[in-house]
Amino acid sequence: MYEVALSHVNYSYGDHLVLRDITLTAEAGDFVCLLGPSGCGKSTLLRLLAGLTQPSGGAITLDGGEITGPGLDRGVVFQDYSLFPWMTAGQNIILALEQAFPGKKKGTYRDIAAGYLEMVGLGDAFAKLPGQLSGGMRQRAAIARAFAVNSPVLLMDEPFGALDAITRARLQDLLLQLWQQKEGERKTVFFVTHDVEEAILLANRIVVMGLNPGCVKGIFPVDLPRPRLRQDLYKTEAFAVMRDKLVTVLHENILSELDEGQTMSTPGDGI
Amino acid sequence: MKQLITASNLLFIALLAALLWPSAGQIPWHLLIVSVTVEAIALIRLATARSAESRRGAGDVGAVIFFVLLAWYLATTRFVVLDKMLFPQPEAVLKLFVAELPDMLKGLVNSLILLVSGYLLALATALPLGLLVGWRVRLFHAVNPFTKVLGPIPPIVYIPYAIALLPSFRAASIFVIFIGAFWPIFINTVSGVFNIPRGLLDSARVLNLREPTLLARVILPGAMPSICTGATLALVFAFVLLAAAELIGANSGIGWYVKNFADFADYQRVIVGIIFISIVVTAITWGTERLERRLLRWRS
Repeated sequence: MYEVALSHVNYSYGDHLVLRDITLTAEAGDFVCLLGPSGCGKSTLLRLLAGLTQPSGGAITLDGGEITGPGLDRGVVFQDYSLFPWMTAGQNIILALEQAFPGKKKGTYRDIAAGYLEMVGLGDAFAKLPGQLSGGMRQRAAIARAFAVNSPVLLMDEPFGALDAITRARLQDLLLQLWQQKEGERKTVFFVTHDVEEAILLANRIVVMGLNPGCVKGIFPVDLPRPRLRQDLYKTEAFAVMRDKLVTVLHENILSELDEGQTMSTPGDGI
Repeated sequence: MKQLITASNLLFIALLAALLWPSAGQIPWHLLIVSVTVEAIALIRLATARSAESRRGAGDVGAVIFFVLLAWYLATTRFVVLDKMLFPQPEAVLKLFVAELPDMLKGLVNSLILLVSGYLLALATALPLGLLVGWRVRLFHAVNPFTKVLGPIPPIVYIPYAIALLPSFRAASIFVIFIGAFWPIFINTVSGVFNIPRGLLDSARVLNLREPTLLARVILPGAMPSICTGATLALVFAFVLLAAAELIGANSGIGWYVKNFADFADYQRVIVGIIFISIVVTAITWGTERLERRLLRWRS
């Protein structure tokens, strides 16, 4: 629900420039996918948005106010380690709820947590430890936590990157369904991925990023109608055109970009 | 039926035969009862074991025990090939064990007071300090050199000075046990905090946890595997130091018991004392292992 704006954001790790001059705006309720090859700094960009690291230059604003650190106005779902393994799925959500809405009764937190687990199809998992859940179930629980806290901005760092194709498809559908429930209350989402089809399926706008240093190569609106159904969408002409365009942009200059930098890997990537 | 023909059962029968041999004179009842009890436990484990592996394990342990008892009995009682004073007969030792049990339990209470006070004191200080030092980078850099220098000093060297410095033997031994247990817990807690995956700390930061909540609900459980290692190590150290302190300056306790009777060359009671200590240590270890499994349930 918040507008998020980055203007001329730079980020260096030591002497190495990881991100150069990133400027982009997400309207309130926007769904933005950050798409790029590994090492392009898309995860770093998400960490900047989360407030886990500070930019070396430029400004990031959230509804007009500058981001100075982590906050509960931004829910984050990581690829891994989102849940604390020593707490049950329910306890993980309750801990977040206690931070977001302090001073409520224990039973209230319990009920809310159980409700959100139910919502993501994990009604039975309240008392289960993350180690007892599959990877897909863990990510469901992490999404349930992010929505339970009801932060206006949702940051997702390749949340489905470690899942098999079928589970990933289910979770993409779940995410879309949760996100588009109410038009006026939609969260502003930043979603990091390197999967072109995933980006087209999910996003309002796709930010394609390039390497060495990480930069914005182009911003592409996705004018496909919602709700998007995977099986119909993949057959459409518009989808094919979009995909070709993105793949072309992703690959153009990729060899020269690699030549310019001495190494393929970016020190500090993922910090 | 075939399952019953094992090394353990054959050795048990051999032991029974040796103990009940007509010319053996008086039947060694204590030894007999111990042997039958061990066999009963082995059979129960055999019957309740879920896997072939644990079934074999129960049998092997039984076989070792019966072999030792048989060898001990034969070498000291039937054929007397060992020195009588240094190697008492098993039956005499077991009889004495029963007789000495009340005295040893009294001594055990005194020992445990020292052990528990020193150990809990170490736990209560080393754990919170370790969490804080592991978490606050600046504090770590300030403290680390001292840890490096002081940690490796064998705590036994403090005993004479502690006895001279502190008003009572009790205070001195609690102090030494405390020092001995402190460093393993502290060092392992610090390294446990360091080894928490960064992703988990990020998740915690994103939730905006206040520092006390963070330390209690994320850093402490995250470091718990390493803390358990340190606490177990510290318990072993505490035992060693307890025994050492009692050897030097006590007038009661389980370590003192062994040392006192060794001075009088009463090796029967020395062995009785050692058996008693091993039972106590086994019981405590069993308890701490169960506690550890509970605390680290989430890892399995």
